[in-house]
Amino acid sequence: MGPVELLHMSVFSQSFSPCGRFLAAGNNYGEIAIFSLSAALSPDATDLSQKPILTFTAHEGPVFTLLSTDTHLLSAGNGEISAWSWVELTKRSTKAVWTRRPNYKSSLEIPEINAMIINPKDNSLIVGGGDNNIHIMDMETGTFKSVLQGHTDYIHCLALKEREGEILSGGEDGAVRIWDSRTRQAVHCIEVFKYEECARPQFGKWISCLATDSDWMLCGGGPSLSLWHLRSMSPTSVFPLAGCQREAVFHQDVIFAVGEGPHVSHCLLGGSVKAQIPCTSPSLNTLALNLSSTEHRVMTAAGSSDKIDVFTNFSYRAFSLSF
Amino acid sequence: MFEFNESEVDGLHCVVCNSEAEKKNTLDQVLRGVLEEQIVSICSATTPFLLLGDVLDCLPLDQLLKSSPSWRRMFPRGNLCNSFYSAGKNYLLRMCNDLLRRLSKSQNTVFCGRIQLFLARLFPLSEKSGLNLQSQFNLDNITVFNKNEQESTLGQQSSEVKEDGMEVEEGEMGDEDAPAPCSIPIDYNLYRKFWTLQDYFRNPVQCYDKFSWMTFVKFSDETLAVFKSYKLDDTQASKRKLEEMRTAGGEHVYFAKFLTSEKLMDLQLSDSNFRRHILLQYLILFQYLRGQVKFKSSNCVLNDDQTAWMEDTTKLVYQLLRETPPDGDKFAGMVEHILNTEENWNSWKNEGCPSFVKERPAETKPTRPSSRKRAAPEDFLGKGPERKILMGNEELTRLWNLNPDNMEACKSDSREFMPSLEDFFEEAIEQADPANMVEDEYKVVRNSNYGWRALRLLSRRSPHFFQPTNQQFKSLDEYLENMVIKLAKELPKDLPSEEIKTGEEEDENGVSLLKTGSDSLQAGLQNKPVTNSQMDEIAGKLGDGWRLLADQMEMKASEVREIESDSEDVDLQAKMLLVAWQDREGNQATMESLITALNAAGFTAIADSLSEA
Repeated sequence: MGPVELLHMSVFSQSFSPCGRFLAAGNNYGEIAIFSLSAALSPDATDLSQKPILTFTAHEGPVFTLLSTDTHLLSAGNGEISAWSWVELTKRSTKAVWTRRPNYKSSLEIPEINAMIINPKDNSLIVGGGDNNIHIMDMETGTFKSVLQGHTDYIHCLALKEREGEILSGGEDGAVRIWDSRTRQAVHCIEVFKYEECARPQFGKWISCLATDSDWMLCGGGPSLSLWHLRSMSPTSVFPLAGCQREAVFHQDVIFAVGEGPHVSHCLLGGSVKAQIPCTSPSLNTLALNLSSTEHRVMTAAGSSDKIDVFTNFSYRAFSLSF
Repeated sequence: MFEFNESEVDGLHCVVCNSEAEKKNTLDQVLRGVLEEQIVSICSATTPFLLLGDVLDCLPLDQLLKSSPSWRRMFPRGNLCNSFYSAGKNYLLRMCNDLLRRLSKSQNTVFCGRIQLFLARLFPLSEKSGLNLQSQFNLDNITVFNKNEQESTLGQQSSEVKEDGMEVEEGEMGDEDAPAPCSIPIDYNLYRKFWTLQDYFRNPVQCYDKFSWMTFVKFSDETLAVFKSYKLDDTQASKRKLEEMRTAGGEHVYFAKFLTSEKLMDLQLSDSNFRRHILLQYLILFQYLRGQVKFKSSNCVLNDDQTAWMEDTTKLVYQLLRETPPDGDKFAGMVEHILNTEENWNSWKNEGCPSFVKERPAETKPTRPSSRKRAAPEDFLGKGPERKILMGNEELTRLWNLNPDNMEACKSDSREFMPSLEDFFEEAIEQADPANMVEDEYKVVRNSNYGWRALRLLSRRSPHFFQPTNQQFKSLDEYLENMVIKLAKELPKDLPSEEIKTGEEEDENGVSLLKTGSDSLQAGLQNKPVTNSQMDEIAGKLGDGWRLLADQMEMKASEVREIESDSEDVDLQAKMLLVAWQDREGNQATMESLITALNAAGFTAIADSLSEA
């Protein structure tokens, strides 16, 4: 990987291992790098521990989304989903356990897969991508059970309301659709750009980030990042963030959002921006919180550079891992 | 001597006995009246301080702490009146320093602080012993932190837990009983860099060294970047904490040093007080580096880059201070003001700490009204307009005022009692002269009293006393004889000796001899006094004509008649004449004068025969 490639690298996705000690990151060259968090966070960390322990090419195209189950790492990029065993990965073995492809209507163009989530209730994998549809795959059998159709443009992001079993999807068409996972029907459709307080026509209407927390929903993208009360289907707070946000998560009382701009924004539920923590990348694509492990409870953010910033204390950048 | 009054005696007695309440009461009583004006009349001004010092030395620490209110009452205004100040300030200083040494700074901080405050109020501002004149730093204030990874407490703890929890399942490890193995990821880099900065604050002179400066800049930039990005939460955290503190009503805890455990790093970073400490440390450091301090060595100068960096960082620090809740702006303003006043103090120290007390200009004092009922104290102490010390009695006053200043009187010349060497040893020198043939036992040097005085005088006046000599003296008188002889050789001979005298006479006679043109060689012989045998001879030759010689010798008629009546023998009469003449003349009765007289009387033959002899 020469310096030019490093310069043009973008990291699109991250995922922590189930034990919490490893981080997998996927970039635009189709590579996945596994980093050892425990080595990087230990007191005697050196520069070497900030390099991946394993890098391998997973897909031909960029790896847009990564997801970890209890045992496997799922990666998806240009239309196919691959599964890797974490145990094998830590042993430096890069053989995929399986690779599957949803049923696409046209076989000419292979649409990319932008988002993947897992529904633990019925152990199904929900996949959304460039063909405007949401595919649901059964993890045990590996068959694609159903397709949710409704979006008129490609899907950016997916979120799951576990309690009600509802799937939220946001797409390029600016609509947030809420689907019932059992009936496979769209329950609601919110066109965010139609609400004046949120709309930012100069950026467009696309929704690139979705997060939900019981009755609340965060969505943002072209329109401003806004907090919605799902029962009343109305925006309660709009966050005055400058760029388009590409990922947002709820964490305790704070909302972390990343997007355009070299910072992680901490926002309060009331709608104010508490802090903007500077990062190394000029813009960020992905944010991940390692909540499964207490020892390595860090936040990592990555974007349009080969560096992944690690925050041990969420308020400042501790160090950076690099590809 | 002074006398204790009864209560004081009781007090002292009860300090020794066991009753607590009694002790406290009597100590109160004892100490209350001690520093009042009346003491001056009872005893000397230093006695109360000696008393206090002894009491403090005897009391154990817990007694001291309990009795501290009494001390406060003793110095109500925190300062002493003038009469006590000069007498007691050194005692008090020593007392307080001893106390401070006994007390622990971290446990008895309040009491230590009170003692320091008292000392500060006791001495004037310009008292140099209380000032840090040379701007020295407390170099011993080293902040200890885990530099070495192996020593990290985290590693140890997890191994401890492992040992304990061997039997325990994984899920239960880290539960309530055992201390949880560190649940927070630690940023070791930041930890190490952050606490290394404390070393620069401890010893700012390091900053002038190029490599240390570079490290300092790097670490500071990182730390300040962390501060900048980690904005503190105003409303939630700090207010709650403040309220908790107030409601708990707990004692304000004082930590002398920073707690540098790694686990605290996160908490410390989110604490606004801690952040203020660190930012303030930066500002103080920068003020020192920039400032003109007289005692800084000449190579402690910053170059332009460093100054520029310092300015930028100062602006950043102030901005961070303003952003730190609560009341960041106010705090930053106050800090700036205080640092500006520090500049004044710095220049005051550079000037050598001149006193702030203005000298009163010499005013003409208003003339005292001449009528006074009692003599003003200055009068009888010798400071009044007449400058006389009144002794209460005319005669005594007169005597005393001959010279009121005893020291001056002692210095006057009339009190110079030590004799000169010549005076004292005159007698001894004379006796030492073998011609005088004084016997040893009569010599004055044998007198032990004289000998002792002689030694004292020699030691004061004579260099011979100190010259080393190989001679062994068996006794004092021998030594003194030796010294006396040495002195005799040195001393100017103003003692009239006959030789000198005849020398003078010789000159006179020499002139006359030259005139007569006779044998000057024989003049030597002629200088001698006339001896008996010579007188017999002359008398025989004179015979009857002695009366003529008597006329010439200017003998009185009464003497002539006396001689005539004394004896009938003419020779004898002549002899008696010559004897009388010799008696009269004394030393002048030389052959020369006799010859002259004979010639004048007409006995030229006799005179010639005498001259020939």
